[in-house]
Amino acid sequence: MNRSCVSDTELPSSLGASTRTRVLVAMSGGVDSSVAAALLVRQGYDVVGVTMKLFHDGGDVPDRPCCSLDSVNDARRVAESLGIPHYVLNLQDAFGHDVLQDFVAEYAAGRTPIPCVRCNTFTKFRDLLHKADAIDAAYIATGHYARVADGRLLRGRDDNKDQTYFLWGIERAVLERMILPVGEMTKAETRAVARELGLLTAEKAESQEICFVPDGDYVKVLERELPADAPALAPGPIVTSDGTVVGTHDGFARFTVGQRRRLPGGSSEPMFVVALRPADRAVVIGPREELLGRGLVARGVNWLVAEAPAAGSAVQVRIRHRSRLVPGTVLRVDGTEIEVALDEAVNAITPGQSVVFYDGDVVLGGGVIEMSRRGLPVMAA
Amino acid sequence: MPSPAPIYLDHAATTPVRQEVLDAMTPFYGPRFGNPSSTHRWGREARAALDEARERAAQCFGAAPDEVCFTSGGTEGDNLAVLGGWRVLRAKGRKALVSSPIEHKAVLQSVHQAAKEGAEERLVKVDATGTVSLDDARAKIDADTALVSVMWINNETGVIQPIEELAALTKAAGAIFHTDAVQAFGKIDIDARKVPFDFVSVSGHKIGAPKGIGAFYIRRGTPLEPLFFGGSQDRGRRPGTENVAAAVGLARAMELAVEEREAHWAELSAMRDRLEAALVARIPDAVVHGRGAKRAPHVLNISVPGTDSESMLMALDLAGVACSSGSACQSGSITPSHVLSAMGVRADVANAAIRMSLGSLTTEDCIDRVAELFPALIAKARGLAGAA
Repeated sequence: MNRSCVSDTELPSSLGASTRTRVLVAMSGGVDSSVAAALLVRQGYDVVGVTMKLFHDGGDVPDRPCCSLDSVNDARRVAESLGIPHYVLNLQDAFGHDVLQDFVAEYAAGRTPIPCVRCNTFTKFRDLLHKADAIDAAYIATGHYARVADGRLLRGRDDNKDQTYFLWGIERAVLERMILPVGEMTKAETRAVARELGLLTAEKAESQEICFVPDGDYVKVLERELPADAPALAPGPIVTSDGTVVGTHDGFARFTVGQRRRLPGGSSEPMFVVALRPADRAVVIGPREELLGRGLVARGVNWLVAEAPAAGSAVQVRIRHRSRLVPGTVLRVDGTEIEVALDEAVNAITPGQSVVFYDGDVVLGGGVIEMSRRGLPVMAA
Repeated sequence: MPSPAPIYLDHAATTPVRQEVLDAMTPFYGPRFGNPSSTHRWGREARAALDEARERAAQCFGAAPDEVCFTSGGTEGDNLAVLGGWRVLRAKGRKALVSSPIEHKAVLQSVHQAAKEGAEERLVKVDATGTVSLDDARAKIDADTALVSVMWINNETGVIQPIEELAALTKAAGAIFHTDAVQAFGKIDIDARKVPFDFVSVSGHKIGAPKGIGAFYIRRGTPLEPLFFGGSQDRGRRPGTENVAAAVGLARAMELAVEEREAHWAELSAMRDRLEAALVARIPDAVVHGRGAKRAPHVLNISVPGTDSESMLMALDLAGVACSSGSACQSGSITPSHVLSAMGVRADVANAAIRMSLGSLTTEDCIDRVAELFPALIAKARGLAGAA
């Protein structure tokens, strides 16, 4: 028998030693990361595709945007068609600890978290970066609509798709190792490239939901993860800001600031959730003007530029994904806590959501909103 | 710079089809295409080939032809043994199924399925070397036991299990003894005249036959309920038109494996020991799983604390070395090894496990190259872990 280390059949092309620069690309099975991988291949990089398995989907949520078997298969098929190696990485433990548990704890504390921010900060651009190190990959790439230039994070060219709101938490040093190939394109251009390349994910639907939340129903996740007697899911009062009890609710974690649905009627004007108060399990409601904020306090602030804004600096502020940038002024910075005044009133500044600071296209940094400062109420336009 | 040839060190996962096997099968993908159940000449030709394949496979077990049935592989054999044996004996009041926590999932999941159907599941403890405890087996095999299923060689560690003793204990209790010999065939002398096993499952693609074919030994007189229903092929034990070509190929592969067994053992054992010694010398704190137990010659399962298998497998693959770790789930992601955790291996050490398995494609040159490359990749991975 012919003895050699090698079987005499043809070998995968990816096995050749290469002097090309290696890039690890996170492939979710969606169109954006598929195109990202394809563009990198076209640019001549030595591309290695990985799909992260972040949670156990139990097989009962077949159409999740990522992590389901279907998504892994799509990512693998795209990698196969691009002729690049593809691996599935099991990051369930770390994701569970860094993202899922925090998501649940935040809701239990009366806040409305954005798990995608922590996933980017910890799972993609920290843990996955360690995997990139292990395979000598100089860069890590994703399908985010954002750009990196000169070690700075910039908004994506497509204003409708810009995802920098979710990327403020990554360590600044990581920027130099990031490639975001679709950040220069519009979503339409991305799809066009996908079609041109014949990628099977070209027509795949947009994923807007949180990947581990089935049917957009986050309460199901809380009910599964929290103890049965958790205060966040127990009945409590619905009160107005002057303390008048106007009804009861079945758990404050089922409500979020700005929500109108499921509140008692009978008021002369529309009422909204304006705050959640875990201390007495209260859901505080009020008319629209009580939702307006003229400033905020944020914690866990991270800066993506060498010279962080100091007290007195003018910044542009975003308090919700894709919301308009609002001019503001930094009032104080204490370590990782910041207080900002806004030049105009903003609707539903929600604890747990992110505040992100910009200077034009440049992302300066961001933090997690701790509280809204009402200042002077301003009538809604 | 021309890239060095890649190295295949995953023979426990699968092996290339041997040329002799392919040659033996070829006529059945051509002119000898008949259905062995047909009465005409095409049918007779196929039937003759199938009968002969069965006789030759039977000889490899020291068995009679009617004691061998062809299956789709190891998983089917394991399901057939556990469920087919248990479903018959439960009617006789024997409710317990005895197995071990280090079995292949094909056995463990079949045992779990039987438990859903009313079986009492008893898993025999293993010691730190990965060997099933005979003392615990004695305590668990009794008059309530329907069937005992323990693998001959563990696929992750290569540890050889005390099958002679377990088979004897089982027979003394009047129960059925099954062994998954998927890793053992061609390594161990599997002779029905010497060891009182009742069922043995073997897989073709681990020994140079194609994927999708397996042999299943059934001792004469052992009750067995089929998994499939249909025609009368294989005495109704395994209905469905037989895969004649693959059966012929499997018989050839089994014969070759039996003929070459002792030489193959000596050769693999020398190379494995050389690799193990080199790696342990260069990485003194490396943990070799199953060390101290009787081990098959083709498996080296090694953990280096401070690394993780996922990253190492990627790095090895990208450097041209194919290995594996614990069991991979359907999506291809790596899950912690149930075998290593049953052995009491610490989770962080288990999560660093790399299984290298040697076989027909392995040469001393491969071994020496891996002995250089693996420690270098480990050093890199650890440097990163230290820096993080």
